[in-house]
Parts: sequence; C-alpha cells; structure tokens
Amino acid sequence: MIVPLEHVLILSTILFLLGLVCVLVRRNLIMILIGIEIMLNAVGLLLVGASAFWQQIDGQVMVIFLMAMTSAEVSISLAMVVYLNRRKGTVDVRAFDEMRG
Amino acid sequence: MTLLLALIPILPLFGGLVNACFGSRLPRPLSALIACGAVLGSFLATLGCWPGAAGEGLKTTLFTWLQSGSFSAEVGLLFDPLAAIMALMVTGVASLIHLYAAGYMEDDSDQARFFALLNLFVFAMLTIVLADNLLLMFLGWEGVGFCSYGLIGFWYRKTENAVAGRKAFIVTRIGDLFFTVGLLWLFARFGTIGIEAINSRAAELDPTTLTLISLLLLGGACGKSAQLPLMSWLPDAMAGPTPVSALIHAATMVTAGVYLLCRMFPLVSLSPLAMGVIACVGVLTAFYAATCALAQREIKRVLAYSTMSQVGYMFLAVGLDSVSAAMFHLLTHAFFKALLFMGAGCLIQLAGHENDIFQMGGMRRRSQTVFWLFLAGLLCLAGAPLTGGFFSKDLILATAFAKGDPFHLGIYGLGVLTAGITSLYSFRLAYLLFAGDFRGEELPHELPKLMIWPLPLLALLGLSGGLLNLPHLFGGRSWLSGWLERENDLLQIPLQSEYLLLGVAAAVFLLGWLVAHFRYRRFAERETEVCKQFFLTGWQCDAFFDRLLIRPFRKLCYFCWQGGDLGLIDGLVEGFARACLQWGHAIRFLADGRISRYLQGFAWGLLLIVGWFLLQAVR
Amino acid sequence: MATWMFYILGAITVVATLLAITQRNPVHAVIYLVNSFFALALLFFLLGAPLVAAWEVIIYAGAIMVLFLFIIMMLEIAPGVEADRYGPNWLQWLPILLLAAALGICTLLLTGLDPVGSNGVPHWYASPRDFGYALFKEYALAIEVVSFQLLFAAVGAFYVGRPERKSKSPAGGDR
Repeated sequence: MIVPLEHVLILSTILFLLGLVCVLVRRNLIMILIGIEIMLNAVGLLLVGASAFWQQIDGQVMVIFLMAMTSAEVSISLAMVVYLNRRKGTVDVRAFDEMRG
Repeated sequence: MTLLLALIPILPLFGGLVNACFGSRLPRPLSALIACGAVLGSFLATLGCWPGAAGEGLKTTLFTWLQSGSFSAEVGLLFDPLAAIMALMVTGVASLIHLYAAGYMEDDSDQARFFALLNLFVFAMLTIVLADNLLLMFLGWEGVGFCSYGLIGFWYRKTENAVAGRKAFIVTRIGDLFFTVGLLWLFARFGTIGIEAINSRAAELDPTTLTLISLLLLGGACGKSAQLPLMSWLPDAMAGPTPVSALIHAATMVTAGVYLLCRMFPLVSLSPLAMGVIACVGVLTAFYAATCALAQREIKRVLAYSTMSQVGYMFLAVGLDSVSAAMFHLLTHAFFKALLFMGAGCLIQLAGHENDIFQMGGMRRRSQTVFWLFLAGLLCLAGAPLTGGFFSKDLILATAFAKGDPFHLGIYGLGVLTAGITSLYSFRLAYLLFAGDFRGEELPHELPKLMIWPLPLLALLGLSGGLLNLPHLFGGRSWLSGWLERENDLLQIPLQSEYLLLGVAAAVFLLGWLVAHFRYRRFAERETEVCKQFFLTGWQCDAFFDRLLIRPFRKLCYFCWQGGDLGLIDGLVEGFARACLQWGHAIRFLADGRISRYLQGFAWGLLLIVGWFLLQAVR
Repeated sequence: MATWMFYILGAITVVATLLAITQRNPVHAVIYLVNSFFALALLFFLLGAPLVAAWEVIIYAGAIMVLFLFIIMMLEIAPGVEADRYGPNWLQWLPILLLAAALGICTLLLTGLDPVGSNGVPHWYASPRDFGYALFKEYALAIEVVSFQLLFAAVGAFYVGRPERKSKSPAGGDR
C-alpha cells in the first residue's frame, strides 16, 4: 500500500485545474494547446491510479488510447496553428474572432 | 310521367350547362336556340304533367342527396296543384322572355354567358317550385340568388352595375339567413325537412315556436321578394338587362317569397300573430313602393317599385289567409309585369337607349304596336275594370274587407289608397311616355321582330287573367280556388257589399286616371320639391340604412382592422419578435468569437455539476 | 519509501506544471512541461504501470513536446518583443483562478466524502506481458480504430499544412 486513493485523485485534480487555468487564461494558441496536454495527463494519472487501486489492467490500456488520441490531436492542432499563423501572421486567439455574434 | 316531371328542371339545367361550357364556341343563333328550346321543352313537359297534378299530385325521388344519421335530404320533386300552376307560369313566361331575349341580346358579345345564366336561373326557380323538401328548396333559393347576382351585374364593366349586383346579393343574403335558421329549427323540431311532413305535423309545435319560425320564414321571403325592410336592392337591380328584369325581378324570383309562404301555409297560418305581421308587411310595402313609384324618373325603376308594391299585395293576401288570392295575383301580375318590362325594353330601344321618362314622350308615334301593348299592361297594373289585375287585386281587398274587424278594415283602407296611387303612377307613366312630343334628341333604334311578338300573347294573358278565378258575381266559378282546393277562400259577403267594393275599386282607378290626366297631360319640367325628392330616393331608405348599418359596420371594421389586427394581433406578434430580437442583441456579447470564453462557460457548467454532486453527497 | 516518493514526485509535478503555465516564453514553458512529464512518468511507475511510464517519456516528453518546440521555433514566436504580448495579466487571471479554486475545493470535498477514497492503493504490478495480452486480445478492435485515427490525423495534418497556392482563396481547404 502506497497512498490512499484520494491523494491520487487530489493530485490529478490539481493538475487538471492547472491545465484548465492555462487554457482559459492564456492567449497564445501554443499555450492553450499546452494546457490541453496538461489536462490530458491529469486524466492519465487518474486512470493509472484507478487501475492500480482495482488491480485491473484496463485503466492502463485506456491511457495508451489516450496517448494515441493526444498525438493525433496534437498533430492536427499544430498543423492548424501553422495554417492560422500563415493566414493572420499571429497566434493570438483574439485575432480569430470571425465567429463573433 | 315521372320522367316527364324530372325533365322539367333538367332541361333548363342542361341548356344552361351547354351554354356555359360551349356557348361561346357555338354559332350565335344556335346558342339562343338551345336556351329557348330548353325552356320551351320544360314548358311542354309541364303541360304534359299537368293532368297528374290534381289532388295529391305527382311525387318522385330522383336520388338521395345527403345522408347523415337520421338526417337525409333527397332530390325529390313534388308536383301538386300549387307547384303545377307555379311551374306552368314560370316555364311559360320564361319561354316568352327567352324568345324576347334572343332578339334583345342580338348584338351582345356575351350572349352565351347571358343565356347560360338565364337557363340556370330557370332551373333554380323550378327547383324552388318543385322541391319536396326545404333543403332542396333552399338550394334553388340560393341558385336564383346567384343567377340574379350574375345577371344584375351582367355588364360588369360599369362599376354601378357590379355594385347593384353585390347589393342585391348581400341584402337577399340577410333574408336567406332567416330562412336558414327557420329551416334548421324545423329540422331540430321534427327531424325531417320534407315539406308535406312538416305541414302535416305543424300543429304539434307550441305557439311561441310556431310564431318565431313563421316570422323567420317571413324574413327569408322578405329578402327574396324585396319587402320591407329588405327592399332596397330591387330598384338598383334594374341595372341588369331588361329581359332579366322582366323574368327575375318581376315575374318569377321576387314572387318566390310568396310561393314559400304559400308552400308553408299550413304551418304559417297556425300563428295569428305571424299572419298579422305578414299582412302588415305586405300592405305597408305596397303603400311605400307605390309612393316611391310616383316620383321615379327612370322607366324601369317605376316598374321596379310597382313590382315591389304588387308583391306587397300578394303578401297581404297570404296574411289574409287567402292562398288562392295570392296565387291569383301572382299569376296575373307575372303576365302583365313581364309584358310591361318587355314593353319598356322596346321603348328604351325605340328612344335610342334613353331611360329617363322625362326625356321621352310622344312614343306613340314611334310604334303604334308597342303603345297598345304597353297600355294594356298599364291598365292591368292600374286595375282597370275587367282586366286580370282588377280581379286579382279586388279579391285581395275584398278579402280584407270581409274580415270585418278594425285591423283588417284599416288594411283595406290603406290597400284602396295604394290602389289609387297605383292607378295614378301608371297613368303618369303613360302620359309621360306617350303624350306630347319626343323630348330627347336620340334617333329611334330599330326593333327586332323577335322583341315584339311575345308581347301580344302576354297582353292577352294579362287582360284575360281574370278568367282564371272569375268570381261568381260575373258568372265564373273561381277555378283557381277550386284547383288549389281552397274553397274557403271564396268570399262570404253580401251581394251589396260586393257591388260596393267593385264600385270603390273602379272609382279609385278612375280617380287616379283623372288626377294623372290633369297633371301630366301636358309635360312641364317642375322644380324638384322636397317631397318629390323624398319619394325619388325611396323614402331615404338607402341613406337611412347607410347611417344605421353600413357606417357603424365600416367603423367597426376599421376598428377591428386598426385596433384589433394591426394593434393587438400584429402588436403581439411583432412585439414578441422584437423582444426576442432585443434579447438576442442583449446577449450577443457572450458570443464574442473567443474560444476561451466558450470554454469558460464549460468550466462554470462543470462547477455547477460538481457542486450539485457535492450537495447530493452532503445530504 | 514508495509513499514518500509519491509525495515528492507529486510536488515536483505540480510545481513544474505551475511554472510551465506561467511562462511568458513558450520554449521555457515546454521545457518545464517536459520536466513535469518526467516526474509524472515516475508516478506511473510507482502506481505499477512501467509500460505506460515508458511511453509517457517516449511519446509525451519525447515526441509531442519536441513537436511543440519545432512549431514554436518555426513560427518564430519565441522570446523578444512579441513575448510580452502573450504574457500573463493578473486582472485576467483572477476570475479564472477563483473559478479553478472553487472547482478544486468542490472536488476535494467530494473526494473526501467518498469512503472508498481513504483506502490505500495496493502494491501491484502490471507486467508488459499481461499488458500486451490485454491490449491485443480484448482491445484488438479498438487498436485498429485508433490506428485508423492516427492515419486520418496524419492525412489531415498533411492537408492543413500543405503549401498554399497563389490562386487559392485564403480559406484554402474547400477544394
């Protein structure tokens, strides 16, 4: 027995919230993507913790899928960043407000 | 026999449909020939059925029209003495008028439409006459209304003609509403709409209901027959072609109201109050219209008011419990009034399409034939002794006199006064038309032969119409009363009184003639007096109705339009839309196109959800 | 021993992440993040997932973060004049921090209320062999789906990032 499960949960929550704050506050597209990575990792930690707690391997399998999904998402998003930067010459999200009502 | 009976209404329907569908492609004479032939065939069919009418009459059911639960309406024909005599008159007069119309419409480009409507009218009228249930009768009732509308506004390119047609349609529609209510009420009470069934069970009704239903039927009859207070459409209806005025607005359709009351007489006669009202309506209309006719300038309007007045006499006869007197007057009136209208058509043609009698005069020199024929019609109208009009009118007045009580004596007095006025305006018309020299400038137009030769026949019928119901006093046997099985309509008064009444009638006729003779023998343009203006405008009735009904109605409509529709409904709808729009404007700052804002929304939502779970867990 | 390791590594992760998200310079942020991911990989190892720990290092810290670095360098948005434009602004941070704090407190309370949470995580070890069995036996179909997803992502990235032709409209991808 290492730690109570709730400590894993707390750590995961803190990481998740840090990622969330990053996404919500930063205006740099790159930093927003970084925030998303942090949140995904927080979820990964939670999955691994749960997997260990119930001694089932499925949680870890989910982390593998999570990573695959993340790599796909990152490749697309970064391509988009390149594309958007080419269009407007900036990576500031405030420049991309064509959907404003 | 049954087939022959069915042919009576079917032939005009067929003729009308053919003319409506193919009339404009047929050669002109053929189109007229089909129309005349259809009506003439119908007349012959009526003659063929005639022997079967006596007593119970012929009955036939063609097919079931409507069937719903206990309600069923059949297209059934009833050919009893009353229907037979009416059908014979309608088809006979219609045949002559169709012949006349063939001459009259010779040069009109819309001849096919005219004959189609005219034939359809005859069909609808025969439906009224022959229907064995009220609903079928109502179908014909509406049919004649429609055809009348279409024919009054026949020359619809002139606005006033179209307006006149619309007025006739709307005013008669008011009467039709009463009829409809009465019809439905009768059905609700008896569970049947068969005329014979209703009449035979009429005594089952309680007096109040009976009176109300009778009055409703009277309302319907008033609308169709242009009686007070629904009379204002008839003078305007003269905008239509003259044959139409002769057929619809003199001989047949306007008498449909009288026919309805005669048809439902067993029911109506059970209510003394309704009978009194009918008599009052009749005599008041007769008086009203006669005074109006005194001042009219257009020849056809004079005749229109005189029609109204004579139909008033018929109503009076119904109200006096004397169906045979009503039918008697209906028949003679149909003959001489058709004659007068057709003669008027000839005169207008001769005067070069001049309507105004003040612009006519000396017409005798333009056509001797027309003069004599028209004079024959006028004599009948005025009630010259021994003409048809004299006998029939006298029978009505004598019946009123014979009742003996003050109410009926008052009616008698008013009736006699009206008869005097009738004589006066008849001869006023005669003197203005024929005496002196022609006052207009128009040259005479040529008169087609076809327009002349139906007239002598009608003149003969009108003058000798008295033979139909010649009283015993003159050696007759009151054939019509016998045919209608109404022997108790015969007068039961002493011989002296009868002579006295005849004398009064003749004296009144002479008095009217003399006044007219001295007043109108030499034409003089008199300045318009207030009283004359009052009569000319029909006692200002149009203005009165305008004030009473039309203007408030317009105001109400305007209010509904501005206040109700634009203000309330549109206001609500648009207000709602505007509120949505403003609300949208108010919250549009939320969609500022920045993803972090949207994600923030997610986060707040997440907080809500987590907080909710927390609350659940604490509890 | 393992318990202490957990708390130390957890603290390193949190601090490194905190530093990463507050950096003005994205390159620094990525470096701190790599740091944080290394600590996280060790945490995975502690929780009995050696294979996941290895992949964390290889895929996250190795591949993804390097990709980030490439892009940052390619777009030339590293330090200098532009950096200030993307720096933190405290007025802007405050409401989000409050929101995050509220979320955190709620979650912590919720976690604390759960009786299961106080049970310890046992010492347990998923060998790469077991992992492989589970992955390719039970989740074979899912693996195929995910591989397709990676393929699509590669095609998509290739398409989005293609060089623009002069005649094309700026929106580009509507062909």
